[in-house]
Amino acid sequence: MSYSTFNRKHFDSMKEPMFFGENVNVARYDQQKHPIFEKLIEKQLSFFWRPEEVDLSTDRKDFQRLEEHEQHIFLSNLKYQTLLDSVQGRSPNVALLPIVSLPELETWIETWSFSETIHSRSYTHIIRNIVNDPTKIFDDIVNNEEITKRADSVSKYYDRLIEMVNLYNTMGLGTFHVPGKGDVEISMHELKKALYLTVASVNVLEAIRFYVSFACSFAFAERTLMEGNAKIIKLIARDEALHLTGTQHMLNLMASGKDDPEMATIAAECKDEMRQIFIEAAEQEKEWASYLFKDGSMIGLNAQILGQYVEYISNVRMQAVGLDTHFETKHNPIPWINAWLVSDNVQVAPQEAEISSYLVGQIDNDLDESDFDDFDL
Amino acid sequence: MTSISKVAHFQPEQGEQTAPTQDKDQVHRVLLGKKQILVTEDEPLLIQLERAGIHVEYQCREGYCSSCSIKLLWGQVSYPFEPLAWVQSGYLLACCAIVKSDIEIAFFE
Repeated sequence: MSYSTFNRKHFDSMKEPMFFGENVNVARYDQQKHPIFEKLIEKQLSFFWRPEEVDLSTDRKDFQRLEEHEQHIFLSNLKYQTLLDSVQGRSPNVALLPIVSLPELETWIETWSFSETIHSRSYTHIIRNIVNDPTKIFDDIVNNEEITKRADSVSKYYDRLIEMVNLYNTMGLGTFHVPGKGDVEISMHELKKALYLTVASVNVLEAIRFYVSFACSFAFAERTLMEGNAKIIKLIARDEALHLTGTQHMLNLMASGKDDPEMATIAAECKDEMRQIFIEAAEQEKEWASYLFKDGSMIGLNAQILGQYVEYISNVRMQAVGLDTHFETKHNPIPWINAWLVSDNVQVAPQEAEISSYLVGQIDNDLDESDFDDFDL
Repeated sequence: MTSISKVAHFQPEQGEQTAPTQDKDQVHRVLLGKKQILVTEDEPLLIQLERAGIHVEYQCREGYCSSCSIKLLWGQVSYPFEPLAWVQSGYLLACCAIVKSDIEIAFFE
């Protein structure tokens, strides 16, 4: 069954499952099978921001004054985040759009992915502002062994799903010989399994992998260093929290079987593997923390504390998708991070900074002439 | 979606002839381990716990990030607005939950 950009069949999209039902035809949002995705779209749109809104001129001076090992921490995190958002800016579209069956979910995926491209653009904005030759930084993302190691684990589930869906769309169900890969079995069960594990690995990416970099960025800002960067990271963290909620809803809807009864069986079958994805990612992030601090720590943060934070946040995220917690750390070792993660706690005069909660185009039409009574010209 | 009761309108409509409600002044006990905190229905649980000196994780404080998810062992809470975050059965979202009866909560065990 090949993909159609406009499915001519007549069917009730309210009765379709999230994935692997009919291809979406009419993009309509007046009714939703799962209203949550419509709400997420609305929220994400209200969050719209542009990296250029944040001034980074002080960051350049700050960066030059950082010690060498601190510059290593800062740049390595930027490289890693660039990798993660390069993947996230395209993969939900490439992997999930060909198999999605609900208009609201289709648009959520596109809105979500688009917001990741803004994050990528903000890394370019930061890098361009703090170094003279951005190419050196970008080139290292594909050369640096510590980063490429991670590229494999963040992309492998996506790549596998994409490969299987390509086969499914051209050949249908069956076992096919793929040169270099041997025989690949394409059954609805295997496809759905690949999908569930992909969403789980994306959940891990957004829920755990980003947070090591976030912690470092805010640790600099706690020392009033690289504050423009922290402001951007804050906007990114706000978006990521929403994306995370999106994948949590997908996983929980699948596991509940309310959306597609077969998905509940698959979720139960994949529970151990999903748990392993969380644990493996947490271990990798702890390794990453050691790599960051290999030449020296920074004030308020070292590999051990960051490792504990990874354990803590992994526990929180595992519990959120119905898994038992795995790590010993039950308390947040860096509670100050919450004050940075909260969307709008910084009281600033509007002329001094962009207010991140500002909504564009909010007009109140419910006005009466009497509302202008106390106006004097 | 969740076993926690949801009350769509948490303020009774005017002129309603049901049993007299003193929702606004109603005080409930929140049990947390050996501690007991008194809370009202005026504000969400998170801010009242913080005022009592209890550290709760948070991020968005408006119901979409689920950082402030806490175990609800027993008792009732309601949400004036349905939060965007998925609320696991047996949990509550402290940033937007209004406590509606005596409750017992717990962090990680």
